[in-house]
Amino acid sequence: MTKLLMIRERIKSFYSRYEGFCNPALKFILAFITFRMINKNINYAAVLTSLPITLILSLLCSFFPMNFILVLGVIVILLHLYALSLETVLITGVFFMLMFFLYFRFSPKDTILLIMTPLCFILKIPYVIPICAGLVGTPMSVISTGCGVVSYHLLHYVAGNAAGLMTQESDPAFALEKLRVLIDALMSNREMQVEVAAFAITILVVYIIRRLPVDHCWTIAMITGLLIDIVVILVGDLRFETRISIAGLIVGSIMAFVVAVILKFFIFNVDYSRTERVQFEDDEYYYYVKAVPKNTVSLTDKKVKKIKGSEKNTASAAASEDGEVPEEKVQMDAPEYRVRRSGSINSTVAGNKNRTRRIKIPEGVDNRNI
Amino acid sequence: MLNESRIKLMTRLASFETGEGKKSMAIGSYFRGDYIAKEIVKSIIYGTIAFGVVFGLYLAYDFELFMENIYEIDLWAFGKAVLIRYLITVGAYSIVTYVVYVVRYRRARRNLRIYNNNLRRLASMYRKEAKRAEMDKGGS
Repeated sequence: MTKLLMIRERIKSFYSRYEGFCNPALKFILAFITFRMINKNINYAAVLTSLPITLILSLLCSFFPMNFILVLGVIVILLHLYALSLETVLITGVFFMLMFFLYFRFSPKDTILLIMTPLCFILKIPYVIPICAGLVGTPMSVISTGCGVVSYHLLHYVAGNAAGLMTQESDPAFALEKLRVLIDALMSNREMQVEVAAFAITILVVYIIRRLPVDHCWTIAMITGLLIDIVVILVGDLRFETRISIAGLIVGSIMAFVVAVILKFFIFNVDYSRTERVQFEDDEYYYYVKAVPKNTVSLTDKKVKKIKGSEKNTASAAASEDGEVPEEKVQMDAPEYRVRRSGSINSTVAGNKNRTRRIKIPEGVDNRNI
Repeated sequence: MLNESRIKLMTRLASFETGEGKKSMAIGSYFRGDYIAKEIVKSIIYGTIAFGVVFGLYLAYDFELFMENIYEIDLWAFGKAVLIRYLITVGAYSIVTYVVYVVRYRRARRNLRIYNNNLRRLASMYRKEAKRAEMDKGGS
């Protein structure tokens, strides 16, 4: 466990130091995966599917705010669908417009959730999303996740019925028929409705539980959330006959739990505060300040304390009086932690969060070994 | 002379001003009622556009049937039903807006209160430094 903690600290320190490079690189990767997935699933405009175009678009996204990926993604989708038929563009455009009215008004910072929801559906791990959204998001994440679910199902339907939606005739009656088919597909998709409801309930439950002032609240939230997700989907399946795969639900839920545990390890009680550069002035000076967050764990120091035989006997004698068995070899992996009996560590963080604060030792870590 | 604790405080203030503070200050420049009313009006406009578009799609969906029966439909009852649906949609959207923006306003005010307290601390540090400088001057 200590090794894992050290790896986490390394990642954290790397991110803090190279945040200026990490963020654009991560945005580039996310944008690239998003555009590749779009091109793979709805590849009707051949010009957009070429690798150089995808790379250029991804590179563009890496320099702009996260929401730019979303806007560009929607434009790419609409261009693909334009090559398919005008009616599809109309319906999808209206849906995206409604989505933006909800999303940009209430949860504009949930871009990652909105993008990841369809991606997780494509990767067959959709149940990860409500758990993660509940753990790291807000109740408003319900909107972004819901929009993501509807986007996936709409595009999935279009991709599966492209032949029927392809422009063939310029007859207005035929166009209206296609419009009707698309609206029906969206409105009568019970699977989508059940998933939106299940995800919304799960997100709210996980969010409420993880904020409770109880021990292991994140773990309790994850398990409860998964169970509620399964129950709601099963009830929805029985009520509306959605034909959701039960085996897929169980396997997906197990995967969701694994991902949530990893997420918890990297996010729970970890401060990814970044290096900040600010400038200000007073009557006498101009200040150009670079505030670098302090790291809390020494990564390389390792001391092995050996207790010799004679000392052992002495220690044994002393311990036998206390009823304890002495340790022969003590390995200290992270000696800079100052451990309190209560299980919390004092550390001072400099920079923009210049205050003394208490960091709780993550669950499952025996603080006597740190 | 450089005062380390004052620089730390100024750094914190500058960091807030360039980051989250921008939004908080924009929100804090409104009275609570004005801010929430502004957002609700925005929501009503967005809600109206969204409802209009969805209603347009609804008409397009059954366009032929609608045109065939247009003289047989009780337009008054139809209009009333559409209006009720519109009011429900916009009302629900406005209620959600109210709740969300009340929370956002409260959070922004709390941030600004902390910011103002820090500004007061900074001013008191300056006063103390000036007093000390005066005493040093008087002593010499």
